[in-house]
Amino acid sequence: MRSTSFLSQAWKYLLAFILIASITTIFFFLRDVLDTTLVALLYLIPLGIITAYWGLGPGITSALITFLTFNYFFIQPYYTLTVHRPADVVILMVFLIVAVVISQLVGRAQAGLAAATAREREATQLYELSTAFAGLPDDHAIVQILAKQVYAVAEGEYVELNITGARSFNFRLPESNPPPRSPELIIPIEAARGVLGEIRLWRAAPAISSSERRLFQTFASQGALALERAWLAQAESRTKVLEESDRLKSALLSSVSHELRTPLSTIKAAASSLRGKEVGWDSPARMELVAAIDDEADHLNMLVGNLLDMSRIESGALQPKREWNILAEIVGNVLGRMRHLAQEHTLKIDVPEDLPLIPVDYVQMEQVFTNLVSNSLKYAPANTVIWIRARVEGKSLHVQVSNQGPQVPSEHLERIFDKFYRITAADKVTGTGLGLSICKGIIEAHGGHIWAENLSDGLAFNFIVPLIWDGAKPPQLPMDMEAE
Amino acid sequence: MSSAPHILVIDDEPQILRAIRTILTEKQFRVTTASRGEEGLALAAANEPDLVILDLGLPDMDGVEVCQRLREWTQTPIIILSVRDSERDKVAALDMGADDYLTKPFGIEELLARVRVALRHSSRMQGTQSKVVNAGTITIDLAFHIVKRGDEEVKLTGREYKLLAYLASNHGRVLTHQSILTHVWGPEDADHTEYLRVYMRQLRKKLEDDPERPQYILTEPGIGYRFIADE
Repeated sequence: MRSTSFLSQAWKYLLAFILIASITTIFFFLRDVLDTTLVALLYLIPLGIITAYWGLGPGITSALITFLTFNYFFIQPYYTLTVHRPADVVILMVFLIVAVVISQLVGRAQAGLAAATAREREATQLYELSTAFAGLPDDHAIVQILAKQVYAVAEGEYVELNITGARSFNFRLPESNPPPRSPELIIPIEAARGVLGEIRLWRAAPAISSSERRLFQTFASQGALALERAWLAQAESRTKVLEESDRLKSALLSSVSHELRTPLSTIKAAASSLRGKEVGWDSPARMELVAAIDDEADHLNMLVGNLLDMSRIESGALQPKREWNILAEIVGNVLGRMRHLAQEHTLKIDVPEDLPLIPVDYVQMEQVFTNLVSNSLKYAPANTVIWIRARVEGKSLHVQVSNQGPQVPSEHLERIFDKFYRITAADKVTGTGLGLSICKGIIEAHGGHIWAENLSDGLAFNFIVPLIWDGAKPPQLPMDMEAE
Repeated sequence: MSSAPHILVIDDEPQILRAIRTILTEKQFRVTTASRGEEGLALAAANEPDLVILDLGLPDMDGVEVCQRLREWTQTPIIILSVRDSERDKVAALDMGADDYLTKPFGIEELLARVRVALRHSSRMQGTQSKVVNAGTITIDLAFHIVKRGDEEVKLTGREYKLLAYLASNHGRVLTHQSILTHVWGPEDADHTEYLRVYMRQLRKKLEDDPERPQYILTEPGIGYRFIADE
């Protein structure tokens, strides 16, 4: 590339020379009609053109050549460089001075314009860079943009950006191995806190100029600022998450320690009285104590399960394992298992026989029904009915679990799905305060939504889950029952 | 059996070992315990137990791997223990050859029931299989392909009968979705759990008193199905 620039430079001189030669030829044939002074004046035109288009070097050189040809061809005696008439000496001298001065002036203006254009381009590039960086929260994207910009502006062979430190990574353009030699330019990406990394640029020719180096240094410091800002923003959001989870944890601890202690106290009391001699071997109290231990252990197990579910939902680890399922089977299984808890209530199911298969995680959906029904059992008075209804609505399944328990003030309807949110004081009702928020987590992981509404005689939980799974409708099964 | 069955328990929690050992010894089983996978494998090879109870969460190796290595040389029944929410591991172990599972915490009647079923199946593997399975009012004659509810014969399609026969001949044991689908439909349909859902529903309608609250064909959430027959 250096050789091409040399060639273009030589080409400019050659062009200048050709122009001077042709002008001289024209003047030569018109020598007899043109006055010497006029020739000198006319010579200034090509000189101006040459300097304006091809620069100061060709301009000055042409001025000197013209001085000689003018003297040689147009000042008597012709074809010598001697001058006889004193007036001609003056013309010659004036011509030389004017030619050189014009060349210089035009050249300087030209150079100034070029510099101004270059500065404007740099400013535009910097502006583009800082616009691209604005509001970018991702350090990888910032590095990518910086590398692309350096690559484009430098028209380099290869650019590599190395970010060092805790979050070290690099980005290369083009995506291949760097050239085997060491890079022509290495610019550190420096911020207030120290060096964040470096830009490595490979470009053998043309050699990297000092103005380019300056420009890339500016790029690097822009990049450093953007990176620092992105990292600070990330640190801030991490802090917020930590604060939130800290708050949750303390809420959890206070709720859990209360909740866990109740069954533990029962178990401890029952077990120690069985161990001692207070309860006779055949006493009916014995069976009751044993049953209490068993029930409370189940209760503890459920609490721990809720906690595990919640922590999974919180950490985003709750991935439904979807399969085509039959809602009636899920509901039946749940009610079968909860029957002994629901002796004071009547459970009724209204699930149409022709309901399509639903794409849900069986175990998680059981959890949803368990929590909704157990919530209803907890709040609804004895001898009332709990309904489970299901309907297809468009491309979704709408399920409603309703009870004849107390209504919830409308301002609380949405918040009852929040963690640890209770309307009743914690010591009145048992539970971790997690059941409904687990339902919400599961239903949302299935792409559905859940809400509560007041009915004329109670409260209903509703949820909707899509019947379409990855674009597929519920399958029509190959029913060979009658055929076989 | 000439002497009391020998049970090997592999679990890393001493309290669980203590509890299981106490109860099983009380029930006249001989019990050996191991707290690590390697130790368990060595004891299994040395003692050739009649049954292995294996915790999936061992400190030194994956319980599924223990299962796999046992199955390389022995068909002794394996009951796995695991915590809730690890359905994937349970299914993996069951498909690897484990016979049944229990979720911690479990009741002792459950444990004893699983042990009884597993021992019965392993003894039957060596002897002849009983040809008639009774479950409440249901009678399934596996030799003559006749299913009766009370005195009345139940009409089943070919596929339904094949499904019921597979469940009944493994009664008491959990059968994973994949194992049922592979046996009844074929390996190429092993992912179609929806077939199972629908056919199980049909079977329940024909056999159960209350199909919504089945007594004989039980769903094991996330795992598979279990057929409960009379002892």
